[in-house]
Amino acid sequence: MSSLTLDARVAAVSRLRRRTWSTRALVYVALAAAVLWSVYVIVVADTDWARLAASSIGKTLGRFMEFDAALIPDLVDPTIDTALMATLASLGGLLLALPVAWLGAANITPLGKASYVFGRGLMTLSRSVHEIVWGLIFVSAVGLGALAGILAMAVRSVGFISKVVAEAIEDVHPGPIEAMRAVGANRLQVLLYGIVPQVLPVVLGTVIFEWDINIRRSTIMGLVGAGGLGLVLFRQMAMINYGGVATVILAVLLLIALGEVISHYARKAII
Amino acid sequence: MRSRAAPTEDPPDLAAALRWRRFRFPDTLYRHAALLTVLVVIAYGVERLDIDLERLPGVLGRMGSTLAQRYFPPNLAHIAQADYLHSVFETLQMSYLATVVGVLLAIPLAWVASANVSPSPRLGYPLARLFIMACRSVHEMIWTILLVAVLGFGMLPGVVALTLFCIGFAGKLFAEAIEAIDAGPVDAMRATGAGRTQIFVFAVLPQVRVAWTGTTIYTWDVVFRAATIVGFFGAGGMGWYLRESVQRIASQDVAAILLSIILVVLVAELVSAWLRKRIAQAIA
Repeated sequence: MSSLTLDARVAAVSRLRRRTWSTRALVYVALAAAVLWSVYVIVVADTDWARLAASSIGKTLGRFMEFDAALIPDLVDPTIDTALMATLASLGGLLLALPVAWLGAANITPLGKASYVFGRGLMTLSRSVHEIVWGLIFVSAVGLGALAGILAMAVRSVGFISKVVAEAIEDVHPGPIEAMRAVGANRLQVLLYGIVPQVLPVVLGTVIFEWDINIRRSTIMGLVGAGGLGLVLFRQMAMINYGGVATVILAVLLLIALGEVISHYARKAII
Repeated sequence: MRSRAAPTEDPPDLAAALRWRRFRFPDTLYRHAALLTVLVVIAYGVERLDIDLERLPGVLGRMGSTLAQRYFPPNLAHIAQADYLHSVFETLQMSYLATVVGVLLAIPLAWVASANVSPSPRLGYPLARLFIMACRSVHEMIWTILLVAVLGFGMLPGVVALTLFCIGFAGKLFAEAIEAIDAGPVDAMRATGAGRTQIFVFAVLPQVRVAWTGTTIYTWDVVFRAATIVGFFGAGGMGWYLRESVQRIASQDVAAILLSIILVVLVAELVSAWLRKRIAQAIA
């Protein structure tokens, strides 16, 4: 290689580097400017600092510290309700997720590209809508009560469960499936005896993981009209009994910690 | 064990052992017990929560007719107002600020909360873990309600709530990324006498940079989804208008707002997926 072409190439590379460097600097400056602008809009323009100082944050925080022990007996039932809602919602989510996973797994989807895209679309829709929004929709459809909350969480769970399950189905070992096809099994038989046994641990692990998340979600479903701890929280908030609110939140934390321990051991037992 | 018996055994035993069964005694007991427990929990839950199972089959139909009668057609004029469009922008700013601040706080926390390179394994490690777990455990809407009570209505409590959510979400994923790094560079630097900060900057950071960037963008996506709703509990953004329409029982306005929320969240998800792909290409 002559020195001339080498020089030209070095110059080209250094020019490219300078350009990436300047693009990068530009991106960082833009990001920082956006931060400053957001800070201005949110913290400077939208917050009434004079009132905030007068109302004294410390005093409000202090009132949250007044633990309301008298509320504890009333919390046992809603806590159990909340855990049950999460359990039913996870199982319902599983029930709804299996057909969606079947549609959204590229290797077994029944109608080719069309049903694959439809299945993936359902997954995205389920995941993109916040559980509060699902809750509002179901409360207006089935009325106030636990059922609305359970359906909302079940529908919200579908996206995650079916996505993981569909990916597991796409990764199954093809050996057993080919063997079954070779001896004349039909599609349903291949699904039941070739695919299900291979993905079952993944399905169960995912449902337990989702159950853990659903416990967290079910603590707020009371805010849109399903019962449980969320309703108690809402009532305490409405009564401006901040000590009671703190007590409810402690119950929430306890329930979530318990759920995390149970799900940890349940997942271990399966895998 | 599901394997066949060794051929040296007596012929009758061999025949019995060769008869294939899917699961043997203790396994079958555990499986049936687990299934029974699940069924009992379902039955107990349905009974206790007073769920009217007869209403279940018609849910889809009733939902369809409710949506068709009360929510249709969505009042698109309501979301075309300048105020509402402005709130979409505010939601974007809230999610952006919360993600930036949350990620900046999550980075040192994740460093302390990583099992392999934590600068303070005795005291800092459990504390940082506990803090990240507490941020994760409390649902972002409960954070919002609490902070609205302390800070008053407005965008500030929303941003603080989303920041806490972001710390819990990104902190856990960041710490997991640190725990998954190759120990080689860390050991090499430790052997030459590097301090914990030097190890973090020169051995850990280069390894997790790509994963963290992807996680950050994904976190923004999730935070944005939450930011569209925090207004429902008194913080600013699009949720504020949702709450106001719900309280007026203006169903067609609610429908329009819900549609717009779903739309912007889908757009955010697409943008986030595209950005993650681009950035993974650019810095990998």
